[in-house]
Amino acid sequence: MKRRFMGIMLSAVMAAGLLAGCAGGASTATTAETTAGGAATDAPKETAAGGGEGLIYWSMWEATEPQGQAIQMAIDKFTADTGVKVDVQFKGRTGIREGLQPALDAGTNIDLFDEDIDRVNTTWGQYLMDLEDLVKTSGYEANANAGLIKACREVGEGTLKSIPYQPNVFAFFYNQTIFDEAGIKEVPKTWEELDAACQKIKDAGYTPITCDDAYITSMFGYHMSRLLGEQGTEAVVKEGKWDDPAVLKTAQAYEDFAQKGYFSETIASNVWPAGQNQELAMGTAAMYLNGSWLPNEVKDMAGEDFKWGCFSYPALDGGKDGTNASNYGAQVLAINKNTKNGENAFKLIEYITQGEFDKKMSEMSMGIPADSRNAEWPAQLASVKPVMESLSVRYPWAAGAEANADLTPIIKENFMKLCGGSITATGFVDALKAAGK
Amino acid sequence: MKKNKTMIAVFLTPAVLMFVLVFLYPILRTILMSFFKIEGITDSMTKWQFTGFANYSKLASTSLFRISMWNLFRIWLIGGLVVMSLALLFAVILTSGIRFKSFFKAMIYLPNVVSAVALATMWLQYVYSPKFGLLKNVFSAMGLKYLSKVQWLDNDHKFMALLVAYCFGMVGYHMLIFASGIERIGEDYYEAATLDGANKVNQFRYITLPLLKGVFKTNITMWSVTSVGFFVWSQLFSTVTADTQTITPMVYMYMMIFGAGNSMTERNAGLGAAIGVLLSICVVAVFLLCNKLIKEDDLEF
Repeated sequence: MKRRFMGIMLSAVMAAGLLAGCAGGASTATTAETTAGGAATDAPKETAAGGGEGLIYWSMWEATEPQGQAIQMAIDKFTADTGVKVDVQFKGRTGIREGLQPALDAGTNIDLFDEDIDRVNTTWGQYLMDLEDLVKTSGYEANANAGLIKACREVGEGTLKSIPYQPNVFAFFYNQTIFDEAGIKEVPKTWEELDAACQKIKDAGYTPITCDDAYITSMFGYHMSRLLGEQGTEAVVKEGKWDDPAVLKTAQAYEDFAQKGYFSETIASNVWPAGQNQELAMGTAAMYLNGSWLPNEVKDMAGEDFKWGCFSYPALDGGKDGTNASNYGAQVLAINKNTKNGENAFKLIEYITQGEFDKKMSEMSMGIPADSRNAEWPAQLASVKPVMESLSVRYPWAAGAEANADLTPIIKENFMKLCGGSITATGFVDALKAAGK
Repeated sequence: MKKNKTMIAVFLTPAVLMFVLVFLYPILRTILMSFFKIEGITDSMTKWQFTGFANYSKLASTSLFRISMWNLFRIWLIGGLVVMSLALLFAVILTSGIRFKSFFKAMIYLPNVVSAVALATMWLQYVYSPKFGLLKNVFSAMGLKYLSKVQWLDNDHKFMALLVAYCFGMVGYHMLIFASGIERIGEDYYEAATLDGANKVNQFRYITLPLLKGVFKTNITMWSVTSVGFFVWSQLFSTVTADTQTITPMVYMYMMIFGAGNSMTERNAGLGAAIGVLLSICVVAVFLLCNKLIKEDDLEF
């Protein structure tokens, strides 16, 4: 009997542990962060002797990534110039995503942080300092990328609460050598031109298009948004309007491509990064719908002689949006509204996002510079420049296709099957209708 | 012995306080949270919106959550059967006095030491690769054309691919628990049985198995707890966006609390808490069921 009692107690403790994992996860994180913050609050005292106030900066990068290294260089210079010490904590993607909000809620001393433009401005919008005055007095905007600053104001509900850096754009990236070999002179601007280009590439003996599970919903989203506009796509996935003719039309376009053999044979089973590494970078596949971070991600596999090309998702007959619409954005830096070091924090942002270190980051990470004076883009991204400059309508991630978290995996599953040729266009529509029930 | 109440209080207080603070408070708070809509997990209570059982009914009506529960059940049942059988088999072999026992033990346990990220990368990018994968090469060499062309990571095979990779790493851990259980059984029983003419199979059936009941219970409970917390492997097999074949309730919970993939999706920590409560109920249910089905009170050794 005693044993059984012990057993029940043990199971209760285990269940408790599990529950604690849920709420406790946050509370332990908070405690950890508070301690980190507590330790960090000592830093300003030290630096006060140096003549300034210390800064605490939480970054989404890892210290070993090129971006993290460039930021560290900017910080070193900033500290050398101003005497203000910076305690930079490279949290990594998940670290900042999970930890920042609990830390801020717990009152942890964090002066500035960075992440994706949308997450910072929407998810963490309530913690941001309005930067309009600082930008005005420093004349920051004169050299900033006007389109991105505009995007930041848009997501910041009309006022500037974040400063963009490491701009990126989502488009078709391709292997110029394969295009040349297939005799494709101009990049496809319409679906028919893309069709023709794919045929030529296939005839030349290459796979026209490949993708991975992580990005494949974007193809669906971009096609839908070309037809309906981004709002329309979002309405379909959020409200389950799978009867919309655009859904079937999109599915038919991809069914057609699948039947013509334009997709990689393994597209239905490519788990990221198999497609981008083993097919695109290795030179067996020609195109991949991805972000401008792609050349950097595959540089070691693709080699230095890999010639990159880029074009915006093609326009469709009778569609609402043209090639001027795409997901473009940046990582952004933002300042905690409760900070006492707003001016110093902004000064550090200037160091990171403009001039010498913006250039460094662009070179080191094979990324797009944020400062308009750094007109020279990395050679691998030369073809991205005209695309970036042609964009005027901003889509969110995957052009709205992933707006409903409950459906994304189901769209992904069925779209992969559609591209792999195991289901038809009507099968795709039916599957999504069924999932909404 | 005279009981000194002050001393009892002094010694118990820290433990009780810790228990209340570290276990009881989060549990009660989680249960409470599951009845509210809460956007950020650390939002103050003033921002919580009471929604009654809405979170639970939403979970029941969300097909993705039902898929995740189904996946969890499959992992628990199929994976459990495979892992327990292999672990028991290896444990019996290893304790039967074979040579190089420690070496084999170490080899089977090794995957537990290697990081899950490294293991998953090996499985995903090498073993299952349809281009140069181990399976493809092995099946081609054997002349099995059909099998060599199977795409192990497409929707039809992804769950099994995940399960095999996961179980590969879990066998060693449960094997050790079984092995220690078997080693606890005195040699005398086996000697006596041998003298009485029982063969190895009978010895296993009538001595080892009955005396391992308690260990079975431990193993099943441990397996249930780790299965319910199934998260890392699922994330590794479907980076960025979740997958219908690999999603588990924990992954769904993460999506609800921190947002899904790269998109800014609606967050609700209350929903996450409701999932936590449901999973806990599952674990307790499994344990109670185990207790009812496996009785170990009748044997003492």
